[in-house]
Parts: sequence; C-alpha cells; structure tokens
Amino acid sequence: MATTATITLSSADIAGDPVNVSKTMTCTKAGTTTDLDQSTGLNRVHLRSVTNKVLLAANAEGNDLAAKVYIINKATDPTLYVTITINAQTIGKLYAGDWMFIPWSQTDVAADIEVAATSWTASTGDIPVEYALFHEDTDLLTNA
Amino acid sequence: MATTTASIAVSSDVTDTTLSVSNESTLYTAGTETGLDAMTSVTKVLESLNDVDLIGTGSVSTTHAYVYINNPDADSTRYFRIRIGTASGADSTDETEEIGRLYGGDWMWFPWDVDDDITVKPGDANKMTVEYQVFS
Repeated sequence: MATTATITLSSADIAGDPVNVSKTMTCTKAGTTTDLDQSTGLNRVHLRSVTNKVLLAANAEGNDLAAKVYIINKATDPTLYVTITINAQTIGKLYAGDWMFIPWSQTDVAADIEVAATSWTASTGDIPVEYALFHEDTDLLTNA
Repeated sequence: MATTTASIAVSSDVTDTTLSVSNESTLYTAGTETGLDAMTSVTKVLESLNDVDLIGTGSVSTTHAYVYINNPDADSTRYFRIRIGTASGADSTDETEEIGRLYGGDWMWFPWDVDDDITVKPGDANKMTVEYQVFS
C-alpha cells in the first residue's frame, strides 16, 4: 500500500521567467522506505468557533514516528480564514481554497494541531474544513 | 499582480477504498483576490546539528506568506527538523515548536503568518541540502 503526494507550483509572471516546481513523494515510515499504513481517511468539519479547537490530538508515542497532515479550507469567500496552530504556536492562516501538507512530529502530548475559525461571525456562515492524516503504527490519534 | 497556483494531488490505498484528493489554490494576499507578487527561492547546504534560521521574518514584508520546503536527499534516513520560533543554535534550550521531520524525498507546504522564524535542525552533521521557496 502506498500514499503519494504531489505538489505543483506554477506561475507565468511572478518572476522574469516562468516558475514551475513539481515534486512527488511517497509517504513512508520514519527513516525507512516502508509505506505508511494507517489513515484517518478524509474528514470534513464545519467550524464556527473563533477560539482554538483540536483538529488532531497528539500522542507522545508519535514523536519518533512519521505522520503527514493535509488540511484545506473549503470556504469560497476569500475573506474567510482559519488559523492553524501547534501547541499554541501559530503556523499560519488558511484562506478560502488554501491547503497545507506537512509532516507532524507530535513532540509531546501538547503538540495538538488546532484550528480556529478566526474570521467567523454569525453572518458569515460556518467555515468548512477538510483534513486527512496518514501515519504509522501507534495507538494514538483520536480526533477530539 | 502575478498569478501563482499551488496544486496538490494525494492518492492513498491505505484504506479499502482508495483515497484520491486533488485541489488547486491561487495564491492571494490576505483576504483578497489580489495575486502575490514576491518570491524567494533558496538552496542551502548545512553541515552541523545546530538549530538555525532557515527563513527569517525579516525576509518577508507581509504578514501572510506560503512556504515550500523540500529535502532533496535520496537517503530516506536523513531528515531535518522543521520548527517555528527562535533558533537555539547548538544550545539545547527549546525555544521553538517543532512542526515535523522532513525526511529525504519529503516536501511540505503551509501558510506562514510571519510572526516567528522558521528554523531547521539537521539530523545529520554531514552535508545536507535543503531547498525552500517563499511566496508573499
């Protein structure tokens, strides 16, 4: 079994010459060529909290193991964003249509991945977010 | 303003039904539909186990950017710890939050709020190459 992820970055005009970057990786267990073998599958949540909520709960057992996280903001209003944090450290804001794909170390039990619908108001409607986790064996990772 | 797109395609047969995800986003300034107009592209060779700045907040003039980091190493055991915060150098003081380990062949893509530096700590003291691009 295999999980592959391909990124393509493309711009015809951000520099004097066109920019095209494409890279495919096969997601493997830490420091090996063995494929990751567990996944949460694709999940969807609708966010309406401006305070942090746990999207993926860390487990210290995962510290030396491999995990890859995919998150996308499925809103269509460009002003709507969600703020992504790990252990209260803000990583960045995913605006409508933005996605991220990162390795996740789970350095300790506080290293939860949290999300806040920071720009949400009663009039904006919920912000839909989809996410998936691919990881190796540990008995962790129950979504909060 | 420039038009820059970031696409992802994920395919996984870990589950009984194959998961296939494909999305493309256009990179805009925060909360707008105005394209980004700045890009930095860097390759660095590191040769120590120190935690050092990879991308400093001073290198970007906005508060919303996108970061691509790639470990081009062919050896899957050689990794970088990618962190966010204040680089601690050789000091063991942990003033950074680790996002994750980028093993040989791995890449990552994420939005960055430019509040804290992005740091890198090689897992191998021998020469290791890291590549990154920042769009802002």
